[in-house]
Amino acid sequence: MSSISSDIIRGYNDTMILYLLWDAPSYGYEISKRIRNLSEEKYAIKETTLYSAFTRLEKNGFVESFADSDMVNGKRRTYYRITEQGRQYYREKCAEWTLTKEVVEKFIRQDGGM
Amino acid sequence: METIRNYLETMFASLPNTFEVQKAKNELLQMMEDKYTELIKDGKTENEAVGIVISEFGNLDELAEELGISSFVIQENQKTTGGYRNVTLAEVKDYLHDRTRSAYAVALGVFLCIISVCGYLVYFRGGWHVRIVLATSFMFIAIAAAVGLFIFAGFVMGKWKFFRERACSVDFATAEYVHNRRESFRVTRSMMITIGVILCILSVLPVIVVGSLFGWSIGFGVVLMFVFVGIGVFLLVAAENVNAGFTTILSLNKRGTVGGSFVPSQKQVTYRNDTISKVMSVYWLTVTCIYLCWSFLSFDWHITWIVWVIAALVQQMLKAL
Repeated sequence: MSSISSDIIRGYNDTMILYLLWDAPSYGYEISKRIRNLSEEKYAIKETTLYSAFTRLEKNGFVESFADSDMVNGKRRTYYRITEQGRQYYREKCAEWTLTKEVVEKFIRQDGGM
Repeated sequence: METIRNYLETMFASLPNTFEVQKAKNELLQMMEDKYTELIKDGKTENEAVGIVISEFGNLDELAEELGISSFVIQENQKTTGGYRNVTLAEVKDYLHDRTRSAYAVALGVFLCIISVCGYLVYFRGGWHVRIVLATSFMFIAIAAAVGLFIFAGFVMGKWKFFRERACSVDFATAEYVHNRRESFRVTRSMMITIGVILCILSVLPVIVVGSLFGWSIGFGVVLMFVFVGIGVFLLVAAENVNAGFTTILSLNKRGTVGGSFVPSQKQVTYRNDTISKVMSVYWLTVTCIYLCWSFLSFDWHITWIVWVIAALVQQMLKAL
């Protein structure tokens, strides 16, 4: 089974995180777990990658962080919330992806080169 | 969980101890902790869970830019190839063992030096020159034994010279181990110092007591005085030397880094003025010398202690300069 090259997916980690924050704030581990589940175990984001994405997103004003207690066991965690700028950025990324996919798709043979 | 924490601390040990780095460390620990808890809940064994968490952790290089430490990461990588010596826990245990042995050897040597003159003060039967011969032999034997002990101590410690000559570091678990050892030695150390100081202060007592009880043999009182001072100094030297061993290890890591959290925080007094800092390096030695000279010459022990009070005041004043 082929695995995802981290070079390729790096540009879309931000998109995935913003997608997951779209409806409600979330925290580090929950996001990494949901990425794994949604990708059907095909992509597992490393902790360092995730943290570096968080700091970058926050620096650019796309997310905000705040400390809060977990609903389930009351543990203090850092939560992230998407901002209006973040939503705007997400829309741009989606458009960019559609275009990218369209272009790259043209160079993928139907038979996969078999 | 302890393994994960140690792993993370070790990864971060050589990074600068800044707010961003601490925050990153805490966040990463939080994520790893969550993941670990969930894996355990899913029925994984502790070892499996630790293995998975650590293997999926990633690489700190990725964070370099965000943490503003890219120059640091590169620097550190160069240093490791340039012979940054990592001292293992086994080596540290060895070192502390040797250091303790040599501490007691040096202390015993000092004790022997102090009591070496006692032979001249003891009264025993025999002719005048027999006494001189015996006293002198005792002195030389004591000094020879002391020198032997000093050489032995130097020999034992010779193996560890590289601590000073090369850049060394210890990992977090080792630093914590040494820190705990030092903490548990703290009570012993303060006992040794207290008793040592008390013995030094009380050392004049035998002279007075013996002198007033048996006027004829004041020599015996002086012998006791030397023995008191000897034991007192033995305790002080041993306590400080053993403690210095812990401090040496803990100071290997640079203070500004995360791994340097255990670097003894006692403030190193720095003098702004160069001349004063030179004077201060021999200050307490000079004060001790003045105290002893004045005391022994005048025998005004009841008043000579004032030297220490004045010395402390003068030091405070010099610090302000």
